[in-house]
Amino acid sequence: MTAALAVHDLVAGYEPGLPIVRGAGFAVEAGEILAVLGPNGAGKSTLGKAVAGIVPVASGSVRLAGREIVGDPAHRMARLGLGFVPQTDNVFAELPVEDNLDLAAAVAGAPRARRIAEMFALFPDLGRQRRLDAGRLSGGQRQMLAVARALVAAPRVLILDEPSAGLSPKLAQLVFDKLAEIARAGVAIVLVEQNVRAALALAGRAIVLVEGRVRLSGAAAALAADPRLGDAFVGRGEAA
Amino acid sequence: MLQLIADGLVVGSTVSLGAIGLTLTYSLLRFANFGHGELLTTGAYAALAVVTAITAWGVDAPPIGPFSFGWPLLVALPVAAGATALVALAIDALLFARLRARGSAIVLIIASFGAALALRNLLLFVFGPLPEYYSREIQIAVALVPRGVMGGMRVTPDQMVVLGLALAAMVALHVFLTRTVLGKAMRATAMNPDLARITGIDTAAVIRATWILGAALAALAGVFAGLTGQVRTTLGFELLLPMFAAAILGGVGSIHGAALGGLVVGLAESLLTPVLGAEYRAASAFLAIIAILLVRPAGLFGRVAR
Repeated sequence: MTAALAVHDLVAGYEPGLPIVRGAGFAVEAGEILAVLGPNGAGKSTLGKAVAGIVPVASGSVRLAGREIVGDPAHRMARLGLGFVPQTDNVFAELPVEDNLDLAAAVAGAPRARRIAEMFALFPDLGRQRRLDAGRLSGGQRQMLAVARALVAAPRVLILDEPSAGLSPKLAQLVFDKLAEIARAGVAIVLVEQNVRAALALAGRAIVLVEGRVRLSGAAAALAADPRLGDAFVGRGEAA
Repeated sequence: MLQLIADGLVVGSTVSLGAIGLTLTYSLLRFANFGHGELLTTGAYAALAVVTAITAWGVDAPPIGPFSFGWPLLVALPVAAGATALVALAIDALLFARLRARGSAIVLIIASFGAALALRNLLLFVFGPLPEYYSREIQIAVALVPRGVMGGMRVTPDQMVVLGLALAAMVALHVFLTRTVLGKAMRATAMNPDLARITGIDTAAVIRATWILGAALAALAGVFAGLTGQVRTTLGFELLLPMFAAAILGGVGSIHGAALGGLVVGLAESLLTPVLGAEYRAASAFLAIIAILLVRPAGLFGRVAR
């Protein structure tokens, strides 16, 4: 079976010659949640952005349902079924909630009215605030809208960059519950997360990045019990 | 008094159309295009070329009703908008797009000065230094308000059509930006270009659409300025400062602000000229800006940067 998203030996960074991601790779299947963990500065967010096409890729391969997408402009990746939810500035603040969704559905060629109705069914709070400018939503609602904006285009793969950042534990759990629901519907999810415990509880598998490379990978439950996980975060056990 | 308001609104509506284009390109490309005035001039001359060509063919085109112009100007209007859009796209492809990839905003601003000079002198070379007119027919102003009431108000039919079409263009633009996918994509790209890209918006196509729209509005403004005044190579340059004033007044990046700002600038010029004297006409717009910015530092519709 072809993976929904397969990343191989990816080298990427903001400046030429200064890679932040240094040969990372992973694969994720439809309906699966993969957590991308690691200490601050490990390159987790850069990996997500490079896959989504907004950070330059120096080398390596990214295959979306078998199709190579490295070098494609970001807008084409979105239309091919790759959804990305940035950590901040992830909604069009001066557009109403409904227009945020309508625009994303329209450019993806998705059936607009039906998909928006589905998003409002998944996130009832958004439906109640549909005419409100996105910038006036609360932090949790804004995060829901950011997820819905990516999801309304019916992507195969959804990459989220720290969706729980800045949210209360209760709201973060709500976001995670929604992600589980989205995965059950068949979407492959890549969850870049600082909140290790919550991410491992949600994900089926996880990778741990250290200095731009995959240090550990495996089933989430096994990783949660692995003493090397803590070492990776505090910088112990590095290869000499 | 009423006469000054009418004159101010006619001039202001032209300034508004120009300022909208200026603020559109600013909000998407993040630079102040000092060549925008020349897009007005290009539009005015493109329309003149069409009108002259039709008349030179010996086609009989008498003025329509009470207006000074015949049907050739109506044909010339969309042609001028299209031609100006092509000029804007060409300048962007040859100059701005290359500098955007590696330059800073200041490089783009200076480049736009250069482009303006080149375009203005090209028009001077092709069309000559003498002012031209779309029509030499005499217009009779219509008294809308009798002289006894606040000094009365007399407006020519041409002025009325300019004001009407300018306002219609602004309403159409509002509908376009708030109701169509392309309009919303333009606003989204202006707000957050990276998010627009990952949402699936082809931002390069949006930038081209913005040039087309801004240039078409500039051409409209240029033809209106030519119709209510003269067609000359400095037409757009002379309106550049009022257009910037309008864009700043409205809050840079705000389309509605630019539209309203243009009308305020037109009114300020018109109402303050009898007080300050005609030689301070341009300065009066800036007095209005200073007064408004002291009260609202981000302009009428602008948001304070966070």
